Amino acid sequence: MAAVLNLRSWLSRRRYLVGLAILCCTAVVLGNLVAWPQPPIRLTMLTSALDAEQGRSLVAAFEAKNPDIKIDVIEGPTGSNAIEDLYTTSFLLGGSPYDLVMMDVVWLPKFAAAGWLLDLTDQIPAADLADFMPADLDGGRYNGKLYRLPIRSDAQLLFYRQDWLEQAGIQPPETFDDLIAASQQLQQAGTTKWGYVWQGRQFEGLTAVFVDVLAGYGGFWVNPKTLEVGLDRPEAVEAVQFLRRTIEQGVSPPGVSNYQHEDARRLFQAGEAAFMHNWPYAYPLSNADDSPIKGKFAIKTMVHAPGLTSAACLGGWGLGVAKSTAHPEAALRVAQFYASPEAQRLSSLENGYLPTRRSLYSDSEIVAKYPYFPSMMGVVEKAVLRPPIAQYAQASDILQRYLSAAITNRMDAEAAMMAAATETRALLARN
Amino acid sequence: MNTTLRDQERRTGWWLLTPALLLLLLVYAYPIARSFGLSLVTQNLGTELQPVFAGLDNYSRMALDGRFWQTIGNTVFFTVVSVILELLLGLGIALVLNQAFPSRGAVRTIALLPWALPTALIATTWTWIFNDQFGVWNDILLRLGLIQTGVNWLGDPNWAMWTVIAADVWKTTPFIAILLLAGLQSIPPDLYEAHALDGATRWQSFYRITLPLLLPQILIAGLFRFAQAFGVFDLVQVMTGGGPGGATETVSLYIYATIMRYLDFGYGAALVVVTFVILSLAVALATWGLARLRAVRAIGEPR
Repeated sequence: MAAVLNLRSWLSRRRYLVGLAILCCTAVVLGNLVAWPQPPIRLTMLTSALDAEQGRSLVAAFEAKNPDIKIDVIEGPTGSNAIEDLYTTSFLLGGSPYDLVMMDVVWLPKFAAAGWLLDLTDQIPAADLADFMPADLDGGRYNGKLYRLPIRSDAQLLFYRQDWLEQAGIQPPETFDDLIAASQQLQQAGTTKWGYVWQGRQFEGLTAVFVDVLAGYGGFWVNPKTLEVGLDRPEAVEAVQFLRRTIEQGVSPPGVSNYQHEDARRLFQAGEAAFMHNWPYAYPLSNADDSPIKGKFAIKTMVHAPGLTSAACLGGWGLGVAKSTAHPEAALRVAQFYASPEAQRLSSLENGYLPTRRSLYSDSEIVAKYPYFPSMMGVVEKAVLRPPIAQYAQASDILQRYLSAAITNRMDAEAAMMAAATETRALLARN
Repeated sequence: MNTTLRDQERRTGWWLLTPALLLLLLVYAYPIARSFGLSLVTQNLGTELQPVFAGLDNYSRMALDGRFWQTIGNTVFFTVVSVILELLLGLGIALVLNQAFPSRGAVRTIALLPWALPTALIATTWTWIFNDQFGVWNDILLRLGLIQTGVNWLGDPNWAMWTVIAADVWKTTPFIAILLLAGLQSIPPDLYEAHALDGATRWQSFYRITLPLLLPQILIAGLFRFAQAFGVFDLVQVMTGGGPGGATETVSLYIYATIMRYLDFGYGAALVVVTFVILSLAVALATWGLARLRAVRAIGEPR
């Protein structure tokens, strides 16, 4: 009895399973005929936590216009070195999860040389590039090919206490000697404790400060075309000697040799320094309602040697497309959107970032909100790029070490620059 | 008969050992062998990240690399000074914590706190303590009249390494203190009683009983700290980034930069191999020396 029952139930179960299978097949066939709406393409990019937070409205604006694409922004650490490391690791291991690469200007040569980025040269019509600042575009090129669309510009500035200078009847300094003289005058009058604060710690910030000063003396670091090294020329030695003089003459606190950007900003914002070398990020912070120096300071380009002009060190961010992405077209659309006037306008108005497009520097709404933007355009246009060579990180480390040694009196300025030049030449010859 | 049984047992033994051996090979031998293999090729941006056999080129480049020797020197200095200071201070703290006093349990817990805090956090705090303008340390010294103007602790090459060592000593001394405290508590108190009855002073007891019986713990704590200090990374990275002028750059910082930032894998691997060999030699030498010391002492004891 039991066996018969079992057999019967087995038979019925089998019939049931067969029925289910037929149903499934029909559903699949029908489903294909009906053509269900495609799920959106998901694109991933990694940015710092701050950028992810500030970029929410950009993502929303893009997704509203492009319902077929969804952008997943992975929130990374705050430090940009950490972001660079995360991108590097993901590409080295292969199968990177990132479709879009948000890059600082100095990472580009390395990422491009390593073959991690898609060549965008033929993807963007030349007319579309005309509005960008040439320096920002160059920051996205490696060996003549375009790998990154600039979405945000940056250039180092000299911040100065306008109120103190006016009080003392001093003109904003133009030359290196002016800067030291103005500082000393204000210090002797007891107006300020320190004259000029900058970033002297052995890190990328020191390189950027040096690039400004070097440009002001008319020197160069590495010529990207000829790979000539200019660090042992008299201009470079003079540049180091200027930085050293600021400490020796008491214009800068001895501690600048370990200062990063925030250390300098805190001193300047606390009213303990008359001049500060920094990036524009410090402007809205120092001008915030709770800042003691609100409305009391102004900006200009870094000073220069008599008879020469100054040039600021260029920074900035851009978007590239990972070579490993499965959706290159979709990713390019995102990059183009982020670089578009509309997106950059939004990002400028919301977060105060400098645009990479000329047209936005005369945008009435932006200028009304940031009156200093038009004067920034000239600075960015003349800004100098750090050498776009694949071994940039290493070249910068060599420079930082010897600069730091010279600033802290471990080495004589000339000997330090000779050694830096020799090592840089060896590095360029090796690879 | 006997031999076959023994053979069988031996074979079973090997079978039972295999998983552990395989794991050890996988976890230790493979990375070491792979690093060594990688150190014989050039694989960097110049070769488009493809390995090209280079023989011993990376090693000859290292011999002439001043930065490598400077970082080795810095690392050895940091390791030796910080481990010695930590052992001395740790022993002192352990001796104090071994005494009976009210709320000893609470004090022991608090004493371990620095060890439990994340290093990056501690490093940031110490950077502020040693800041030349706003730093607490300069403020204390100024108020005491010991200095006239703020000292530039982290930005001065002569002070920077000592500043980093101070932060490391603060963080890791509790670890050594706790290890040594455990050792102290395992020494039977009757030894001290008997020694005291024989008329020994406390100093003699310390030298004759405490130190010899604590030697294994001192050795272990020292070795632990030695290996850890040799690989110090986060503390230095946050406090000075290796500056000023490379005065605090340790070998692990240099290896990290070479591999992660310069993408120079062959040379980075060569740095790893040489550092590994130096470290192994130092550990072997230290272990051998201390074992000899103990042997000599054990023979000398009955006299």
